[in-house]
Amino acid sequence: MGSQTSTYDFVERFKRGDTEAFSLVFRKYQRRLSVLVHYKMSAELRGAMEVEDVLQEVFLAAARDMHQFTYQSPGSLMAWLSRIADHVIVDAARYQNRDKRRAEELLRFRSESNPTGPEPVDSETPSRLFAREETAKNVLKKLDALPAEYREMIVLAKFEGLSTKEISERMGKSRESVALLLHRALKRFRELEATTGSS
Amino acid sequence: MSGRDPRNGPENRAEKASQKERAIAEALAEYVDRLSREEAVDIEAFCKATPELEKELRPLLESLTEMDGPPSSFPYEPAQEEGEELPDNLSGHKILGEIGAGGMGRVLLGFDERLGRKVAIKTLNRRYRDNESVRTRFMQEARALAQLSHPNIVRIFSLGQPGETPHFVMELVEGSSLVEAGRALTLGQKAELLQKVALAVDFLHAHQILHRDLKPTNILVGPDLEPKILDFGLAQHLESDGRRMTRPGEIMGTPDYFSPEHTVPGSRFDPRSDVFSLGAVLYEVLTGSPPFHAESFAEQVRQIREEAPILPRRRNPEVPGELQDICLKALEKKPENRYASAREMADDLERFLAGEKVHAAPTTYSSLMSGKVEQHLRELEGWREDQVVSEFEYDALRKDYGRLIERDDAWILNARRLSLPQVSLYLGAWIVTVGAALLFLFRFIDLSGTLAVVAVSGVAGLMAYHGVRLWKSGQLRIGIAYLLAFCLLLPIAFLVAFGEYHIFAKPAANLDWELLGRISKTFKQTTNAQIWWAVFISLPAYVWLRRFTRSSVFSLVLAVMTAWLCIVTLLRMGLLEWLDTDPGKFYFRLIFVALLFFVSAFAIERARLPNDSRYFYPFAVVFTFVALSGLAAVHQPYQEWLERTFPWTRGQIEYLFIINAAIYLVLQAVCERFSSAQMRAVAKAFRFAVPGHVLTSLLFLGLEATQRWYRHRDDLLMKREARTFEILVPVMACAFVYGSIRKQMKNYFVVGMIFLAIGLVRLQQDIFKQQSRWPIELLILGALLMVSATRYAAIKMAVARLVRRRV
Repeated sequence: MGSQTSTYDFVERFKRGDTEAFSLVFRKYQRRLSVLVHYKMSAELRGAMEVEDVLQEVFLAAARDMHQFTYQSPGSLMAWLSRIADHVIVDAARYQNRDKRRAEELLRFRSESNPTGPEPVDSETPSRLFAREETAKNVLKKLDALPAEYREMIVLAKFEGLSTKEISERMGKSRESVALLLHRALKRFRELEATTGSS
Repeated sequence: MSGRDPRNGPENRAEKASQKERAIAEALAEYVDRLSREEAVDIEAFCKATPELEKELRPLLESLTEMDGPPSSFPYEPAQEEGEELPDNLSGHKILGEIGAGGMGRVLLGFDERLGRKVAIKTLNRRYRDNESVRTRFMQEARALAQLSHPNIVRIFSLGQPGETPHFVMELVEGSSLVEAGRALTLGQKAELLQKVALAVDFLHAHQILHRDLKPTNILVGPDLEPKILDFGLAQHLESDGRRMTRPGEIMGTPDYFSPEHTVPGSRFDPRSDVFSLGAVLYEVLTGSPPFHAESFAEQVRQIREEAPILPRRRNPEVPGELQDICLKALEKKPENRYASAREMADDLERFLAGEKVHAAPTTYSSLMSGKVEQHLRELEGWREDQVVSEFEYDALRKDYGRLIERDDAWILNARRLSLPQVSLYLGAWIVTVGAALLFLFRFIDLSGTLAVVAVSGVAGLMAYHGVRLWKSGQLRIGIAYLLAFCLLLPIAFLVAFGEYHIFAKPAANLDWELLGRISKTFKQTTNAQIWWAVFISLPAYVWLRRFTRSSVFSLVLAVMTAWLCIVTLLRMGLLEWLDTDPGKFYFRLIFVALLFFVSAFAIERARLPNDSRYFYPFAVVFTFVALSGLAAVHQPYQEWLERTFPWTRGQIEYLFIINAAIYLVLQAVCERFSSAQMRAVAKAFRFAVPGHVLTSLLFLGLEATQRWYRHRDDLLMKREARTFEILVPVMACAFVYGSIRKQMKNYFVVGMIFLAIGLVRLQQDIFKQQSRWPIELLILGALLMVSATRYAAIKMAVARLVRRRV
């Protein structure tokens, strides 16, 4: 499939001003990043805003700052996006706390102060990636059911895309025990699959 | 999330891992490592490498892969949109070429051969075509937009047939983008264009469509100077379905027109977000560049969220202040500070075009000023520390600065400005009030009973309803006029009702006490009790209005009405009779009213509502002055007490006024002890009254004493008394002149100077009659004083040396 070169190509194409290339990068990483963001966000923050919106901001920031990004290795774009996500989440949490936004007072559209007004067309909250997609919802459900340590293994390996060496550095464990943990995590995940899959 | 079950605990079983488990883990690790390098690993091939592990390894790897979900919904392969051939024909239109491409699809140039006109055809990108819901919404949206018919919104002609590529046919707009077109236009033409755009956006809002991507390239201007809005809503509505796949590609070009809420994840859009974008477009049309622009995205977002735009007039001095106001009002950070709707913005632009005053009063100015002024205040603090300015200069400067950034809302300033509509507005309100008042003052045969009550309360209700609505929609200046009219109409409505239904109609025991009957017999009989209750019942409404609007004007209304209520209370106690027989009684009771106001003002100020308490203090001070002066002037017992206790005063009221001055001096000393700024202002008011009281009284006492002495030439005691006063006036005047230094009381200085001159003339007339010695002495004295003032330091040192030598 040659995806090594394609990521590099996308980055280069994008830097040359090809906006379509960015859409492709976006689509490529969107899903992994959304799971990652989901677990990076605190439960409180998750209640206050959509993963999708954080994601949106991550890609906006990435789009603007792409010229600062240098492609080093195949995984480096994902690592870079992950770092941006950290910043966005911290920023969003700060903003959310500082400014608990008052319920919008729509004047023309329906609101508390104007209960007879019409409902705006897009009053539906921003789309929920996970809610719409059955498989994604299932994956999240099962990840949530795992012990925290197992879940973290899968998130780091599968969604953040770290190598076992990087995971072992981050977790302060030997590479071997990381591999074992991952193995058990996946096995447990598989077992959950068997139980939930039937229902 | 259970998990930490000791038997299954991940860690403690790690040691007991079997050989096979280790081998599987190792293989898994290798797989993950390859994944982390973004290699596409074929599971089949990978498992073949270690056939003995395949049975256990494969499901794990499959689980990992399945986490990605079904491949169709998550295409790794780039969709080859670019390579797609142009269709020859779409719903009977010959396709001539491509006009543009966006994230959602392409816009093609078509030709309707039957009608012989060119059209634009928007198609949906191939990658969305298989997505049923996206396609349905694409068509639904087109259908919804086809319902709209507005000269400034691009028209939809027809929808594609089910069998064809999803598309719709729309009007082809030939023109240039708003900014480009704007370059050649006058300011008036630009404003007119923007007004049309704002009206069209309002039209969209009225049909419950938010544009959310207004930008100059989405607004084309034809040669007839008619703007047309394109690309409204479509992409956005489609996006709310599922994934926002198109967003980054589309959005990147235009964060310049983002609203602050646009940049915050999870916030909602509303019509005011479009108003912000309109403001950004207006800004660019006026100045040539968008309001916020930065190299990095993060910086730009920060600017949009936090920084006020550079004033349009700074970028282009030809921009009139009024257009700048409109622009900044639309670009307010908080949606509630912006125009509540695009229609309001359009109305303001229309006002500008008509040469009227616009309603916009952006908060940007006050924050701009307060930012600078606060900086100056900090500098000022430093200047005081370094003794660049004196304490008094510091206080004065602080006060002046404070006045600049006083939380006096901009609309109040505007409301005070007299313009034709403004004056008419208040004149109208006043005529309504007076008209309503006639209904309770006079009896009308054909307008009586319930009819009169309905008329007045109907008007009052209408004023309240309209005022609240205007206020809510942000038209504060106009709303306040309606609400103030309501404030006056409310007690009048009660009065009319009381009068018509004979509530509280029992007159006082003494008919002479009734105020209105006393003023004129032609008035309909309205009792003091009715007035009292009408005002009393109205008070909560003022308190509510104050809370609702957070505008302190209603505290002024409350203060006035409370004062009036106090007066009516006194009326019910027999004020009119007292005025006839013993006015002192009235003035004495006024002291309690003054006290009531002092206490409530102080309480309100302590409740951190200084803007409201400032309306109560003046009443308190004025009542105190009136009460004490009245007592001194007409209160018999006061006078008798003075005569009894100090027979030499003969009970003359000038002495009572001097006593009053002493009371003011005490009051000011008391008030000064409070930490509240307004209390200290009250102290100053009391202090202010002192020299006038004292010197005038002394002068009159002196004049009377002189006359008395003239009548009894040989009475030496009288002569001494007259002389004492003659000398006392200039001496006290000098005392006040020098007394002005300590508290920087300029009126002490001025009043002292004037009375000194009067006193000196009086001395010449009387003691130094016919003697040129006196003016000569004055010339020398004045010159000496001036010289010594210039040599003040030297004299002071000399005196100090002299004193030391003595010691």
